[in-house]
Amino acid sequence: MRVVVLVLALLSAAPVLAQGARAELACRFTGTDFVYDCLIRLTRAGQPLGGAQVVVGADMPSMPMAHNMAPVKATPGRQSGEYEARLDLEMTGEWAIKLRLSGPVRDQLVLHYEFDEQGARPAKRKARR
Amino acid sequence: MDDFTLGLLTNVGLFSFLALSAYLLLLAGEMSFGQQAFFGVGAYAGGILTTLYGVPLPLAALAAMGLGALAAFLVGLPTLRLKGLYFAMATLAAAEIARLLFELLHFQREIEGELAGPDGTQGFRGIRWIFEQGIEAQEFLLLTYALLALVLAALLLVERSRLGVTLRSVGEDPELAAALGVNVNRFKLGVAASAGALAALGGVLFAHHNTFIEPRNFDIMLGVHSLAYALIGGLGTALGPLLGVALDIGVLEGSRIFGGARMIVFGGLVAVLLVLRPRGLLDEALVHCITSRALQRR
Repeated sequence: MRVVVLVLALLSAAPVLAQGARAELACRFTGTDFVYDCLIRLTRAGQPLGGAQVVVGADMPSMPMAHNMAPVKATPGRQSGEYEARLDLEMTGEWAIKLRLSGPVRDQLVLHYEFDEQGARPAKRKARR
Repeated sequence: MDDFTLGLLTNVGLFSFLALSAYLLLLAGEMSFGQQAFFGVGAYAGGILTTLYGVPLPLAALAAMGLGALAAFLVGLPTLRLKGLYFAMATLAAAEIARLLFELLHFQREIEGELAGPDGTQGFRGIRWIFEQGIEAQEFLLLTYALLALVLAALLLVERSRLGVTLRSVGEDPELAAALGVNVNRFKLGVAASAGALAALGGVLFAHHNTFIEPRNFDIMLGVHSLAYALIGGLGTALGPLLGVALDIGVLEGSRIFGGARMIVFGGLVAVLLVLRPRGLLDEALVHCITSRALQRR
């Protein structure tokens, strides 16, 4: 019955385009193999997004399902909109960082970062033409 | 239920559609390494419809299934003329062509001041329909398993019907089936199109669960896993592939304690399993044994 109600609700649902959250990531290599301390900055409509619950997961796009990280909960940082999490990855390379947000906003953001001994930077990809 | 378990169970459900898609073709005697292409077609089509055009997810899923079936039919037209390994290689090539086409796909529109839609190798971000509709992760899980139960019930009914018998006979001895009046090529095309629709349904749900898709999601690794699901779980019943997905993902997650060597451990376990049970855990002999015992008890 619950499923039927859910399907009917899905059929009648009109798109509600709410402005989504945005995220930036800054990670520091801890010195232990593949472990990074990351600072996540969340904004919404240009303003810091505080009070959110953030769960961080990671997948390696080049090896789907083979290399991933069990999700960890981020803790609030020093300033509003900042969250901290320790990522224990399996190797260096490009990772898709998945941020699942709940609280004031329910959303999921996926960021692609290149991790190495220097830390992390946004992954760059070649366009195919 | 914690986020990890929820994510894991949802992934098991989502990849079960792909596993059942590969299983259908295996029953028809064909080993496809290309079902991930139709999973991708479903993911992109569903994502475009809900994100760029505001189409409700159920309608988008139906449209994506139609497109997945059409794509599988078109791929099947030339490839199903081939046999065995040649068919497997042709489906792999078709899937790689599809992945390269996803890399060339740029179809973005401005939604709420932001560009949304497929952007080639950069992927397709912001497939946020379920978040915008306030659908909770548990509800999405419930929806996924409800759809899976429907598909499974349909497959189990088909397996008990005349259609199911024809399907197995075409898979086991196509010449004999043809001699009995079955149009084998047309039948296999129908199976391929149904399998494409099933994979596409899984793809739509996958895209909306992940909110981001990219061509690399639909590469050969996924095709190999989809076949492995069906082969590990067994070809005796439609429940086999589901068992295969649960085992595959379960063992992958359970072998985390082996750290970087876990893929070696995982591969070894799969190899041992296939040596001991070449037609999977729930193979035809075991299913026959279980059903005949159940009938005797009645």
